[in-house]
Amino acid sequence: MDLFSELFGMLDGFDNLYSVNAMSKGSKACPVCGMTYNEFSRTGKFGCSECYKTFEGEAERVLRQIHSSSVHSGKIPSKSGAEVKAKRRLNDLRKKLKEAVANEDYETAAKLHSEIKEIEGGLK
Amino acid sequence: MIWYNDLNDGIILSTRIRLARNIDKTPFPSRLKDKTKVREMLSDSILKSNSTLSKDFTLYELSKLSQSEKTAMTEEHLISPQMINDNEGAVLVNKDKTMSIMLMEEDHIRLQIIKGGYALDEAYDLADKVDDVMEESLTYAFDEKFGYLTACPTNAGTGMRASVMMHLPALVMTGNISRVLQSFSGMGIAVRGMYGEGTNADGALYQISNSITLGLSEQEIIEKLKVVVNKISDMEKQAREMLMNNRKDDFTDKLMRSYGILKYAVKITSQEAKTMLSEVMLAQNMGIIECNGKMTPLELMIKSAPSVIGGKDNLSPDERDKKRAELIRENL
Ligand SMILES: [Zn+2]
Repeated sequence: MDLFSELFGMLDGFDNLYSVNAMSKGSKACPVCGMTYNEFSRTGKFGCSECYKTFEGEAERVLRQIHSSSVHSGKIPSKSGAEVKAKRRLNDLRKKLKEAVANEDYETAAKLHSEIKEIEGGLK
Repeated sequence: MIWYNDLNDGIILSTRIRLARNIDKTPFPSRLKDKTKVREMLSDSILKSNSTLSKDFTLYELSKLSQSEKTAMTEEHLISPQMINDNEGAVLVNKDKTMSIMLMEEDHIRLQIIKGGYALDEAYDLADKVDDVMEESLTYAFDEKFGYLTACPTNAGTGMRASVMMHLPALVMTGNISRVLQSFSGMGIAVRGMYGEGTNADGALYQISNSITLGLSEQEIIEKLKVVVNKISDMEKQAREMLMNNRKDDFTDKLMRSYGILKYAVKITSQEAKTMLSEVMLAQNMGIIECNGKMTPLELMIKSAPSVIGGKDNLSPDERDKKRAELIRENL
């Protein structure tokens, strides 16, 4: 717990410097489990996986403090991982689509567009 | 085979790999109101799987176990100490007690492989396979950037804690233990005594584990841990040789005296028993004593802990010391 009090002590200092609405941030709550930022900073534990998104900035800082990194490079689960891979592919295709449109290559753009739709359908 | 019966080099006693996993879109156990439904879904992922694992595991609901059964499982490292007072969780244990899957501990799933001796790669491969079986019917909470999401940020990323239990009596006797263990601080490796706080752990048993779970792959974490474990192991070997070469009479006399006391004492405290069993274990590993009893010194150390000796009967400390001495006399 000492580690956490220390970490959050540092973050609090940060907030006072940079955030005008430190109060509203403290009461910000996770939509899935209802955990507030204040609770998270008091216990140092998350209430659900969505908390990592709700308090993303804070989560990232805490993770980097603990692990000196905030980017996972280990195992990817095959199911949730398939989605991660599909998302990466989607971002890739969207970039290419923009380029194709900019180059007025409408044939390629149409192909890319249908491919994107297909992947988006699969993600739903 | 249960880990404490494995014959090994007497320095690296056991290996553990633990993976923390959670289910997507479901509050973690501390904020989950109805745990039963989710818990069943989790146990079904093993018991109703097509894998051969389904027949190897038995489910134990904590609410249906007695306090002494739970204590015994804690000493065998099949459930965590926090689970002794928990009545909502459950644990899946396989036949030879090398695998346990704690459900509704701090995370939805705490999958653990525990093996005797030094077997990090083997244990991880097994954990990885069991993890894949469970994932077939479950959707894990996983984030592209942060990896596996866990209740405590200290476990996020790989969710993996790899640890090795080491017996380091010669480093303790020569007064080198603190220096050795301190030299590894700041390397993302944590060291703690199995029994008791600080560096002077009772029984000279130490748990060496990774403290970083994010930013490195599982293999990288294991390789880092191995480097540290191998170094500590070499230093323990050197200390043993040094004691034998320079202080042979004093050293063997100390070990033999401990053996004598354990063989004949009528009453013995937990701390005294741990220290002496550790010395007998050392003597046995170095070929100074041959123990032919029914239990290994390590097993006796585990089974003579106050919580296990006390068991279901409410024994006074004095009665426990007598019962402990008897257990050791008969089985060493
Ligand atoms: Zn939440």
